[in-house]
Amino acid sequence: MLSLPQAPGRLCDGFSRREFLRVGGAAMLGMSLPQVLSLQARASTTVDAAKPLNGWGKADSVILLFLQGGPSHIDIWDPKPDAPSNIRGEFNPIPTNVPGIQLSETMPKLAQQMDKACLIRSVSYTPAGLFNHTAAMYQMVTGDTPDKVAPSGQLDPPSPIDHPNAAAHISKFRPPEEPMLAAVQLPRPMQESGIIGKGGNAGYLGRAYDPYFLFQDPNKDINLDDLSLRPEVPPMRLQRRKTLLETINANMPEIDKVADSFALNEYYEKAYDLILSQKARNAFDLSQETNEMRDKYGRHTFGQSVLMARRLVEAGTRFVQVNWPSVANGNPNETAWDTHAANFGPLKNLHCPKLDSAVSSLLEDLDQRGMLENTLVLAIGEFGRSPRMGISTSGNGNAPDGRDHWPYCYTGLIAGAGVQGGQVYGKSDATGSTPLENPVDPRDILATVYHTLGIDPHTIVMNHLDQPRELVKGEVITGIF
Amino acid sequence: MKLSYNLGTTLLIILSFCLINPNLGISQMEENVPSVDVPEITALKVHPESLTLEHARDGRRIMVSGQTKDGKWVDVSTWAEVTAAPGIKIHEDGYIFPEEVGSSSITISVNNITTELPVTVKSIDAPPVSFVRDVMPVLSHAGCNNGTCHGGAKGKNGFKLSLRGYDPDFDYELLIEDITGRRFNRAFPEQSLMLLKPTSEVPHKGGQVIKPDSRDYKLIHQWISEGVVSDVGKIQRVERLEVFPESAELSMPGYKQQMLVIAHYADGSTRDVTREAKFTSSSIDVAKVTDDGVVTAERRGETAILTRYEGAYSTNGIIVMGDRSGFEWAETQVYNYIDTHVHNKLKRLKILPAELCTDEEFVRRIYFDMTGLPPTPEQVRNFLMDTTASKEKREKLIDSLVETTEYVDHWTHKWGDLLQSNRKFLGERGMWLFQQWLQDEIAENRPYNEFVYDLITATGSAYSNPAASYFRVSREYTAAVENTTQLFLGVRFSCNKCHDHPFEVWTQNQYYEVGAFFSDVQLKNGRLPGEEVVYTSYNSTPVKHPRTLAVVDASVPFGEIKDESKDKRTSFAEWLTSAENPMFAKAGVNRIWSYFMGRGIIEPVDDIRTSNPPSNPELLDALTKDFVENGFDIRHIMKTIAKSRTYQQSIKTNKWNKSDSINFSHATARRLTAEQLLDAIGVATGSQPKFQGVPKSFRAVQLPDSQVKDDGFLKLFGRPERESSCECERTTEVSLAHAMNLINGPTVADAIIDPNGRIAQLIKEEKDDRTLVEELYLATFARLPEKTEYATAVEFLGKAESKEEGAQDLMWALLNSPAFLFNR
Repeated sequence: MLSLPQAPGRLCDGFSRREFLRVGGAAMLGMSLPQVLSLQARASTTVDAAKPLNGWGKADSVILLFLQGGPSHIDIWDPKPDAPSNIRGEFNPIPTNVPGIQLSETMPKLAQQMDKACLIRSVSYTPAGLFNHTAAMYQMVTGDTPDKVAPSGQLDPPSPIDHPNAAAHISKFRPPEEPMLAAVQLPRPMQESGIIGKGGNAGYLGRAYDPYFLFQDPNKDINLDDLSLRPEVPPMRLQRRKTLLETINANMPEIDKVADSFALNEYYEKAYDLILSQKARNAFDLSQETNEMRDKYGRHTFGQSVLMARRLVEAGTRFVQVNWPSVANGNPNETAWDTHAANFGPLKNLHCPKLDSAVSSLLEDLDQRGMLENTLVLAIGEFGRSPRMGISTSGNGNAPDGRDHWPYCYTGLIAGAGVQGGQVYGKSDATGSTPLENPVDPRDILATVYHTLGIDPHTIVMNHLDQPRELVKGEVITGIF
Repeated sequence: MKLSYNLGTTLLIILSFCLINPNLGISQMEENVPSVDVPEITALKVHPESLTLEHARDGRRIMVSGQTKDGKWVDVSTWAEVTAAPGIKIHEDGYIFPEEVGSSSITISVNNITTELPVTVKSIDAPPVSFVRDVMPVLSHAGCNNGTCHGGAKGKNGFKLSLRGYDPDFDYELLIEDITGRRFNRAFPEQSLMLLKPTSEVPHKGGQVIKPDSRDYKLIHQWISEGVVSDVGKIQRVERLEVFPESAELSMPGYKQQMLVIAHYADGSTRDVTREAKFTSSSIDVAKVTDDGVVTAERRGETAILTRYEGAYSTNGIIVMGDRSGFEWAETQVYNYIDTHVHNKLKRLKILPAELCTDEEFVRRIYFDMTGLPPTPEQVRNFLMDTTASKEKREKLIDSLVETTEYVDHWTHKWGDLLQSNRKFLGERGMWLFQQWLQDEIAENRPYNEFVYDLITATGSAYSNPAASYFRVSREYTAAVENTTQLFLGVRFSCNKCHDHPFEVWTQNQYYEVGAFFSDVQLKNGRLPGEEVVYTSYNSTPVKHPRTLAVVDASVPFGEIKDESKDKRTSFAEWLTSAENPMFAKAGVNRIWSYFMGRGIIEPVDDIRTSNPPSNPELLDALTKDFVENGFDIRHIMKTIAKSRTYQQSIKTNKWNKSDSINFSHATARRLTAEQLLDAIGVATGSQPKFQGVPKSFRAVQLPDSQVKDDGFLKLFGRPERESSCECERTTEVSLAHAMNLINGPTVADAIIDPNGRIAQLIKEEKDDRTLVEELYLATFARLPEKTEYATAVEFLGKAESKEEGAQDLMWALLNSPAFLFNR
């Protein structure tokens, strides 16, 4: 004799609970903002107990220095002094403040901050089709492998059905606790020739999760009208308007219920705070920094952008993406990483000094402010450059002193938020062509970003067709913590 | 041409459920469902009424129902004590297995009430293991072929299976031929990778998904020892599923219902596959379902249990009634058949409909829904002052609005969205011509079937026949398949491009079969700059199945094309738009309904599938019938919907309908769309929004595509780019960015202080404060202020530094109120 038993529920197939975590859009109807926030918190903390991994939830903010164009790893992060001259290039290695770790001579300032950062010298992937920039950049910042790549290696222009980028997912799953912009992208969009901004937005999560774009040059005066109070509406007048609006709404309880179901009042409160406190506006105001500090980061678009990123993070922004300011293809007079020609002179004299001053200052500055503990810093491009000079790997022409695209092995810098400084993770071979140890897919880096923010990288969101999609199909790089 | 349809019952299953529930995912995380005591019962019933066990592996389960004192049958399987007579054995998981050939029985008792179930055992031999019927189900059941595991597009860790086992041949080939011998050891089956991996005896990233010595394990073991034989192609997979009970009502949270799943095969045999089937509840906060098919009521509501097994599907409705004591239906007026069907459903669920909305609410709502614009203060006054009885004057207004040019503009815009009228695809000239064509079609109220027929069969230059723009947008046959099926059948074929649809009957083959109708469509340049000509080519590359590379012949996914002699697109269009096509009119009418009611009877409107049944099938059928019988007359259907009492309900809820969001028991407030909002700000402030490259007088709804620049408002508020045929491309959420823009952005701020705007005009005319307040309320909320509102506003104006500044502040506050931002 026995009772008909019932097996416990299992969440293996199909609709697991996480798939229903559609917080935005229609599913948000009926939830107050606090409910949404607590749901988001739970979405991440539920994983906490299950996987107590290193670095989990250590970061409050992330700064991504996105070196679009594809910097040459051998000439910056991963020198190969013993390789043949057509690989080694023109630069010599220099010691750093960490015994045993060398950088290229192009990065003397960073060499003195090496104890704070980790170099991943085994970033590697094999691209689908030809490898041009947009597909690689899109994968880097969205974690999605594009399946529709044109023969040229380019993608379609940005579209609302794109995979959301990291900024969007982070804005959704870990919005700031205080009234502050959740994610900011500056000082220009990502670009490859005519395709501008691919991977730069929230795609199917909806524009509400787009980062705030400040596509202006922080090395010049910038215009912040939309964050500033208009001249005819001083704070007192906005306050009066707010009170009047509340009185008017109070007279319509049925309609106020509607507002509640859309969390309208919460958004309004946050918006008032943001506008009245001028917090975001102030964060963008570099004149509040000392000249010394500004000089240190470097008086150029990139340096000032990185300084602005630090100010934003300080004010509570979760995710700042600083895109390398120049993308012109192969022009030796442009500060563009895409060095199909004239790789060495410009690198030494134009690009690297800017990168060096900005990255080293950021690490030092964050550390001195005690912010490195809970800020994850990343500096990486969409790929590296071919170890051998003058050959064509992408179908593009290359000058004898140029290097072509090389996604098979390159280097990314990662620091803060529990990442052990002063280490090299992964190893490239003698020519910097292929990883020898611990290969890291760019998607693993993105998974690590989510992980440090306390967001399970495998959280499922529904795409525009209501199909379940993971934030990123990558694994956390636990070895760096 | 004669058309016939054989859709089967799967698509038309009559069930109700809630797809999007605001609390999804929250409730069951912390709440404990109360445990329920054995209900007092007076009689017992067992399903099935008798059992026949065919062979050693033929295990069966039973479902036990008890009759309560009030005559209802409830599931009592949980509490049933089951005793087997000799000759049969009951396993721990409740399955009944044969031990001896002959007749036996099972005794079932609940609370001292006992009944007996006769059991016949035909054989106790174990037949050979079938790859198709035994092994494949194990792979599915263990989750091996899930999208997140080896069923993903790229497989997992070098091993790939077809998604959820839709392609047994492919799976067999890969298992066998991937690396010969590696996965199988016929002499020592337990040393086969196919057993070592899932049991985690060698490292397996997916963990232990099959327990050693489980029945799944033994099946695979036996299959390997029998020589790893494939019977793909020799033996049919399951033909259909029969799931008991067909529908169920659980009275209270905590009550359970055992589902029983019987697979039927073409040879007449059946199997109990309750254990192997996959169950999902469409609304897990209403009822959960375990792997074993036990549904547990969580809270009041409706859900559908989707049961999947080896490519066969069934959907069964569950209603959790909850505590409704004290409910009494109040007689409610019926304006037309819509109300009858809505009320029937509400009565069944013990929901009381909302009261009628006021004339003020109605006039604002109907203007927005019909014309995309709010009524002007004058239009509001005219309507309110009309002394005709409310019902009649509402009907009069509805009839008049469908005749306006604003109606034409609004629906031209809507179809422009869906058909992706966009200069990126059509060029500037082509875009304007297509917009003009749409306008003409809508102005003459072209029957929906003819409108669609013209699009699908269009040929020639898109300049002289703008309908041909359809194929300038859907340039590849794949785009034509996906757009056509999503727009006009409400189904998403994009899922079955790469694999059989995971939750639906559609197969990958069908995708390419439909594609073959469009493979001859070609484009060539015309004589004028930017001109393109659509023509049918007779030497275009035939459509090939991406995996088998076999040429696929054109064929419709259901029904039939009898006359094969016609041009392929013509045949397809005739099939598609026929009154006999059960999906076409239904998808169309459901879409129209959603524009007026805020959600479809099937929602999302373009994701119709078995697992997404209508919330009120009788209502949808009645609307469909009406649509077809009236010659696909769009205006007729719109007017019928708007004239129903259901449409004219208030957003104000009562105790009995406040938790309902899917049965149309009250109106639902919808955020104004980007264009509606911008145009409403224009009407309210009297300030013309500024666009680049179009005539100055253009409203947002008249813009030809999303490339027209404004100050960024439209994009922020979710104007679609017109790059997708999905309704979801348009967003109407509310976010921080929207709040900031409305509070501090240039659109509202500039409109308020426009020197040619309403406020400037009113100040110039030196209107008194009361008139000023009245005008602003009419311009924003489409009603006169109430007494206290007058008082508040007049007092505010009195305190302001200047009357102009005070009026601007009042306008700002009204524009920022949800009463303005929502269609309500």
